[in-house]
Amino acid sequence: MNPGIDLQGSFIQILTDFGLSAGAAKVLWLPLPMLLMLISATVGVLVTTWLERKISAAAQQRIGPEFAGPLGTLIPVADGLKLLVKEDIIPAKADPWLFTLGPTLVVVPVFLSYLIVPFGQNLLVTDLSIGIFLWIALSSIAPIGLLMSGYASNNKYALLGGLRAAAQSISYELPLALSVLAVVMMSNSLSTVDIVNQQAGYGILGWNVWRQPLGFLIFWIAALAECERLPFDLPEAEEELVAGYQTEYAGMKFALFYLGSYVNLVLSALLFAVLYLGGWSFPIPVEAIAAWLNISETTPWLQVVTGTLGIVMTVFKAYLLVFLAILLRWTVPRVRIDQLLDLGWKFLLPVSLVNLLLTAALKLAFPVAFGG
Amino acid sequence: MNIADGVQVVSFAVLALMMLGAALGVVLLNNIVYSAFLLGLVFISISGLYILLNAGFVAAAQVLIYVGAVNVLILFGIMLVNKRQPFAPVRSAWLSKVATAVVCLGIFALLGTMVLATPWQLSTEAIAGDGALVKIGLHFFSDFLLPFELASVLLLMALIGAIVLARREYLPDELEEETVLTLPERPRELTSSGSRSNP
Amino acid sequence: MLKFLKQVSDYTKEAVQAAKYIGQGLSVTFDHMQRRPITVQYPYEKLIPSERFRGRIHFEFDKCIACEVCVRVCPINLPVVDWEFNKETKKKKLNHYSIDFGVCIFCGNCVEYCPTNCLSMTEEYELSTYDRHELNYDNVALGRLPYKVTQDPMVTPLRELGYLPQGVLEPHDLPAGSRRAGKLPEEILEEMEASKS
Repeated sequence: MNPGIDLQGSFIQILTDFGLSAGAAKVLWLPLPMLLMLISATVGVLVTTWLERKISAAAQQRIGPEFAGPLGTLIPVADGLKLLVKEDIIPAKADPWLFTLGPTLVVVPVFLSYLIVPFGQNLLVTDLSIGIFLWIALSSIAPIGLLMSGYASNNKYALLGGLRAAAQSISYELPLALSVLAVVMMSNSLSTVDIVNQQAGYGILGWNVWRQPLGFLIFWIAALAECERLPFDLPEAEEELVAGYQTEYAGMKFALFYLGSYVNLVLSALLFAVLYLGGWSFPIPVEAIAAWLNISETTPWLQVVTGTLGIVMTVFKAYLLVFLAILLRWTVPRVRIDQLLDLGWKFLLPVSLVNLLLTAALKLAFPVAFGG
Repeated sequence: MNIADGVQVVSFAVLALMMLGAALGVVLLNNIVYSAFLLGLVFISISGLYILLNAGFVAAAQVLIYVGAVNVLILFGIMLVNKRQPFAPVRSAWLSKVATAVVCLGIFALLGTMVLATPWQLSTEAIAGDGALVKIGLHFFSDFLLPFELASVLLLMALIGAIVLARREYLPDELEEETVLTLPERPRELTSSGSRSNP
Repeated sequence: MLKFLKQVSDYTKEAVQAAKYIGQGLSVTFDHMQRRPITVQYPYEKLIPSERFRGRIHFEFDKCIACEVCVRVCPINLPVVDWEFNKETKKKKLNHYSIDFGVCIFCGNCVEYCPTNCLSMTEEYELSTYDRHELNYDNVALGRLPYKVTQDPMVTPLRELGYLPQGVLEPHDLPAGSRRAGKLPEEILEEMEASKS
């Protein structure tokens, strides 16, 4: 593997050339990737909401947003602006502290999980050794925020929605973690960069989709349930619970919930791309193309091209999955709560355990193909 | 002191204060839901302390298990049996308070002497850091195998118990005396709606 | 043991079948994505209602003989007919007539049974108000004729599906003089007349 571009190293190098100490240069560097990730996550949400409207419209033979900007691209901005300046209402008998803290607790862990999403060999905030485990741990905080906002709203629908959301989140975390564990077992590492590197080398044939056909289905179903997307959107089922735990929320606090759910969707899609679709790698390995064209891997312009291609590929794969989620939304009807828990505990959990055992057996039997 | 050390000291102070404050809140607050949420804060600050000690995996596991599972289950329990009733005033409450204070002070003194008496030796081994995960796994499957397996047996027992409790129809003594719940029937008015005769 | 294996295999079959059905559903949704939108940009474009459209009811005061047939055939006895008996002419004299369109279900029974044809259906369907009591139309309001979509200078009239040429789903940019599928009622009548003679 080539090391790729080291942005941090070159940034610090440039600053030290200007006469700053290495420590100060590092302090200046530190907030940059985080800020960039925060902005890109938010922009990703704007794009996703626009896509959701447009694809939904296309599936229903409508036009969708049309007048706000070219092709209605300014509609998410208009939405955000509207929610930003709306009156922030706290119901009279609600608990103001918990009511405010709830949406924050839902949103912050999701944004924190972006720490481990890689867009290239060095294009991520931190390459933690516990990588993917951090995401699973952080996503388990969200139910507390949901329970908190459901309880604090002082509204029976909100409380029921919060309890449902927490129950759903807990039940689908297990199949999710088990299917991730199978991938981790094959790549011998929890780090997202290592997981991607383990899939590289054979292009599209080396991706984990082929080695984990069960695992990726389980992962996507469980991820949809975690994001409360449509076949599993019972916590905010309009017909039964008004809007679930969001019932009493308005303005910026509602926007936080909205933002959180979409960031979570994009995050799940990104991690799906990382775990099963080879992350930033191109369907044909770039190294092979470079070798075929007789270009050295360390050529600067090739590295720039590879880095850009990596970002484009990751985002492209993620948005392909977002598209799939939206298509599923208009295909599958909502399940009942007992069907939901049935599917989670009696189907996905045993199947993911079987998948894990099968992966372990195959790893022992064919260490070459299954990452010995 | 360079930047890294400064950040460490400050975040240690913040985490410790947060943890102590939240723990006091858990004990002292009257509203049990607040106590449960503050318990989550205690767990999160403990995981922050683990991160300061370079134990990232333990910190994440702390968040996953204690915040994500234990605390959520406690909250579930509280919210499903949410009885908001004020504490009934107990006569001679001071007696129990004094007794509690004595017991607490005793435990505090015991722990304090233990803390002071223990020779705290800093391990000379290098910090495991990222390699901790492998070491924990090795310990689990070699010298700590028995406690590890015993803990899983305990969990299995809890699981079976939960299933038995949830499937009430297999408890034989619960079957008898099945009271049929009925609503008292409302007396029906015999006059037809409107005095108009049927067409 | 065999029974257990059979259970497992049945369960697997069901799961595979469910997955297949979801796949079919997905392909149907995906197929819909390539179809062209049939959106009508409502306040600027409006569909021309069909000739059998059952919209707001029109009432002609002078034709009414206050027989109350409309009240009797109405599923909820909705029309209010206020009349008094004129002893000199020995006829009923209609004072007021009203229908509450907030309650009306536009079934058209009253129009069907009215012996003097004083009730008729219009093509008006834009009945929104700020207060539901404003939907209670008296005989003056019932006597007003609606604005025709084709005569409104603010509106582009669009043809409905039934009035489009065969195989055309898009009402925008139709070539001039394009006819609807099938024969018009008057043409059928003409043919019948011709075949008779």
